[in-house]
Amino acid sequence: MSEIIYEIKNLKKYYEINLGLFKKPKIVKAVNDISFNVKKGEVLSLVGESGCGKSTTAKLILKIEEPTGGEILFNGKDITKFKGHELEAYRKKVQIIFQDPYSSLNPRWKVGSIIGEPLKLNTKMKDIEIKERVLYLMEKVGMHPDWYERYPHQFSGGQRQRIGIARALALNPEIIVCDEPVSALDVSIQAQVLNLLLDLQKEFNLTYIFISHDLSVVEHISDRIVVMYFGDIVELKSVDDLFENPEADYTKKLLSAIPTIKD
Amino acid sequence: MLLSVKNLKTYFYSDAGVNKAVNDVSFDIPKGKTVCIVGESGSGKSITSLSIMRLIDHPGEIEGGEIIFEDRDLLKLSDAQMRKVRGKEISMIFQEPMTSLNPSYTVGYQIDEALRLHQKQLNKKQRFEKVVESLELVGIHNPREKYGEYPFKLSGGQRQRVMIAIAMACEPKMLIADEPTTALDVTIQAQVLDLMKELQDKKGTSILFITHDLGVVYQIADEVVVMYKGHIVEKASAEELFKDPRHPYTKALLHSIPIPGVTPRKSKLDTVDENVDYLSFPKEIR
Repeated sequence: MSEIIYEIKNLKKYYEINLGLFKKPKIVKAVNDISFNVKKGEVLSLVGESGCGKSTTAKLILKIEEPTGGEILFNGKDITKFKGHELEAYRKKVQIIFQDPYSSLNPRWKVGSIIGEPLKLNTKMKDIEIKERVLYLMEKVGMHPDWYERYPHQFSGGQRQRIGIARALALNPEIIVCDEPVSALDVSIQAQVLNLLLDLQKEFNLTYIFISHDLSVVEHISDRIVVMYFGDIVELKSVDDLFENPEADYTKKLLSAIPTIKD
Repeated sequence: MLLSVKNLKTYFYSDAGVNKAVNDVSFDIPKGKTVCIVGESGSGKSITSLSIMRLIDHPGEIEGGEIIFEDRDLLKLSDAQMRKVRGKEISMIFQEPMTSLNPSYTVGYQIDEALRLHQKQLNKKQRFEKVVESLELVGIHNPREKYGEYPFKLSGGQRQRVMIAIAMACEPKMLIADEPTTALDVTIQAQVLDLMKELQDKKGTSILFITHDLGVVYQIADEVVVMYKGHIVEKASAEELFKDPRHPYTKALLHSIPIPGVTPRKSKLDTVDENVDYLSFPKEIR
C-alpha cells in the first residue's frame, strides 16, 4: 500500500485566452502549482466543482496535455520527458474510463472490436487470441459472450459503461483514471458499476484515480481524497479524516451541500 | 387539493407496438406542498409532468384519465384555454438551463415575455419593475443591470435562477420542476433548492418536483411518488417513505446509493435487480 507510483510536484497548467488582436491574452490557471502522491493499490479521488482543474490534472497524468511547469514522476521517472518506446510502454499502463458511455464508444463498431482495439494496436496477439481475451474481459465485467457481435446502441448506459471498462482493462493496466464514470447513470446502475469497479480493483490489484463531484460516491469508494478549488488543492486527506474533520472552508461548504438521507 | 391526477394514461405508438409510458397513475398535489416523483430513466416521471401541461406530442397520446386543477379537468380544456393555464397558473422549469433559454434574447426580455402574454393590464414600465423584482426574488445581484444581459454571460446556477424567475413571474399556483438541479454543481444545487423552498414559503406555490436523486427528495419533499415502468409502486409522505420503505423497488433504490457514515465503505451496494419483475409486488399506497 505504501509504495508510491506517482509523485506530482508543483504541477502547473495555464491556458492562454486571446481576447483580441491588440489585447494582452488572459491567462487561466487551470492547475496552479499542486503537489501530491498516488500510492499503489489505492483509490485516490479528485473532488471539486466544474472548472476546479480536476479533469485537467487527469489529462496531465494521462499525458494528453503537457504541463506548463512541474513534474509528474511515475515510478521515479518524469513522464513529461517520455518519448518513443518509453511513452508507448507508459500508455499501456495507464488507461481511462470516460464519463459519457454514449459518446465514448464508436457507434459503427461491434462490441468485440471496441474492446479488442487496444490489443490490436499494442500487442502482437493473433486475432483468435484477441477474441479469447475479449471474451474473458467481457465475462469479467459481467457481459454475456453472445453480445460480442452487437453494436453499442443495443445497450443501456450501464452496459455501455461496462464495455468502456473492459476496453480499459484490455492491456492489463496498473492505473485507471476514472473520469466521472457513474455520473451519467441512473442510481441503481451507478451502484452496479461501483460494485464492479471495486471488484476489479481487488482482482487485478489496480490503482484508481477517481474523478467525481458526487461526494457520497467518493466517500464510498476512496482511500484518500484531494479537494480542489480553482486550480489549487485545498485539502488532501484520508476519507475518514476528511469527513470527520474537514478543515478548509470550501471542504466544509462542499460537505454541507451533499443532499443525503440521514437517520 | 390543488391538483389531482386520476387514472392518467399516456401511451406512445410506434410500429413496434404501444409503449404505455404512463399506465394508470393517480396522485394529488395539495396547496403549498411539494410532491416529488422519483424514478429512473424510462419510469414515466417526465411524461407524467408533460401530460399535466398537455405538452405530449405525436406519437404520444393521452389516452385516458382526468387532471383536475381547481375543479377544471385540464384534459377537457380547449387549446386556447390551456394556453392561459400554462405559464400563468402552472409553469415549468426544465433540467437544462444551458439550452432552455433563448440565446438571442436578453434575460429581461425572456422574463418579460411571460408578463406580456398573461398580464396584459400592466404597462411597459410596470412590467420592467416586475421583471427586476422577480430577478431580485431569485437572488440575482444588480437585477437592473442583469436585465439587458444575454444568457451566455451567466453561469449555470444563474441561468437556472433566471428560469425560475420566468416560471414565477406570473405567480403561478403550481410549479413543475423537471430535474432542475441535475446539471448543477452540488453547492449550486443546494442554493437552488433553498431558493425554491423560500419561494414556496413566500408565495404558497405548490411544487411538483421530478428527480432521480433520493438525496434531493429527502431535502425538499412533503409527499413522494415512486414510479417504475409507468406505474406508481409506492406513495407515501416523505417521512414515512424514508423511515419505512415498503415496496421492494423503493428499498432497492434506497439501498443503491451509498450514504456517508452509514453504508460500510467499499461494501457491495444493493442494486435494482433486472431479473425481478417489481410490478408483481403489491403497490404500497399510503
